[in-house]
Amino acid sequence: MSLVLGNFSFTEVSPRRYVITVAQSELRGVVEAVVKEESYLSSISAVDLPKDGKIELNYIFWSVKHKAALVIKVLVNRENPVVPSISDIVPGATKSEVETYDLMGVVFEGNKNLRRGFMVPEDVVAKGVYPLRKDSGV
Amino acid sequence: MVIVEIPIGPQHPALHEPIMLKVKTDGEEVVEVAVTTGYNHRGIEKLLEKNSWIRGMYIAGRVCGICNAVHTQTYVQGVEKLMGVEPTPRANYIRTMVMELERIHSHMLICAVMAEIVGFDTLFMLMMRDRERVMYLKELITGSRVHADIHVLGGVKRDVDEVRRARILDELRKIEERLKYYKKVYESDYTLIRRLSEVGRISKSDAIRLSVVGPTLRASGVKSDVRFDDPYAAYSEIPFNVEYRDEGDSWARMMVRLDEALESVNIVRYTVEKLPQGPAVPKTIPRAAKPGEVISRVEAPRGELLYHIVSTGGSNPYRVKIRTPSFLNILNTESTYLGHRLADVPVIFASYDPCISCTERVVVVDEKSGRKAYVSLKELARGG
Repeated sequence: MSLVLGNFSFTEVSPRRYVITVAQSELRGVVEAVVKEESYLSSISAVDLPKDGKIELNYIFWSVKHKAALVIKVLVNRENPVVPSISDIVPGATKSEVETYDLMGVVFEGNKNLRRGFMVPEDVVAKGVYPLRKDSGV
Repeated sequence: MVIVEIPIGPQHPALHEPIMLKVKTDGEEVVEVAVTTGYNHRGIEKLLEKNSWIRGMYIAGRVCGICNAVHTQTYVQGVEKLMGVEPTPRANYIRTMVMELERIHSHMLICAVMAEIVGFDTLFMLMMRDRERVMYLKELITGSRVHADIHVLGGVKRDVDEVRRARILDELRKIEERLKYYKKVYESDYTLIRRLSEVGRISKSDAIRLSVVGPTLRASGVKSDVRFDDPYAAYSEIPFNVEYRDEGDSWARMMVRLDEALESVNIVRYTVEKLPQGPAVPKTIPRAAKPGEVISRVEAPRGELLYHIVSTGGSNPYRVKIRTPSFLNILNTESTYLGHRLADVPVIFASYDPCISCTERVVVVDEKSGRKAYVSLKELARGG
């Protein structure tokens, strides 16, 4: 089973869970397609994959119209994790992006609110580590 | 006019979301609100990575005191999927029973707090008194008044016997009667209506754009409920209505909660009366999960609660992402305070059902003289 939104095809991985893996350049396009389907952003979940040198970002949307979770997966380079911000398309994404930056160190280009210490205590910020990375030593 | 910045919070470490609202006002009118977090980040996601699947069950339950069973449920149902375990129907019904009792007392708590904030202390006292009946039922079923910890992987920790079932039904009658009365109070009391209606309105399109969830979303006319749209535990077998309203203001949010609490009474009654036969407590508990990932969603009292659990096999999770409903409801609603009076800020804030007692401390700073004065949130709500 798959769900097609615009040029993007989501694959059903389990009941009511649809996943698509896209390149960074396509991210904003697919988010725009998803938002048209009465979707709100539930969460941005980042998974550190040090063996592959990548960080996996999961943009988890819930579509009220389709009654399904739409997950957009994007892989970013671990050494230079930069990804375009979607906070102008989905205002609800602003704080999730700040949280992900603070805990995992992914830079969302275009989000003006990015700052350290949003969640992380000052002593950890002073060390310059991102606590949810596997090699952070926290 | 001079713009004055009024920081509300930060606060008590015992509550799960210590937070600070920096409110800028022009006279009485609110012109800017910035929410500041991070006063008590406990690193629970990291803690879950470092502990086994079974220990994680108890850590997840400690994320929140008020809605602990739903946190355990979200974690456990995700892990059960990764382990390939199915809870028995009876266990599912008992889980649902506990979670719905939690919804009733959580909604009663915030309705009581809202009454206190607008200066209706008698209603606060009465609601908190009757809330104890629900806490008693929770203790009767789980053995503990606050932290349920009734889940185990594949079932529940203790069964519900015939004596307890009769007791629950008896108490539910009293709780329902009181809830109906409180609904009538919220519907008809002049002060409550004047303080709550037309305050902090969110339109239907804004609610989705701002990604708010739960009663906040439903009060803006969006019929979205995880229990109904994405059923878990025993919800696919239980008939119930999704309560929603179109007004979108603080009053509508409280009314949705009261309607929902009444609906929850029916759900608890259904689970007690139709409790399936069979075992509820599993004999063995699995310890290792298969590699994979799962997105687990539950309708907590405050809205959609989401866990993203990643497993690479073995005894520990690889990554657990927790997104609590208040994260969205509090942080994404900064714009809804604008244009209202300062005394409306606590009302709007409480209508999102945060842990309000955290914010019982306010510092007022006069920017010109740098003079500081301490005012409680209650005084502020009464006009400072």
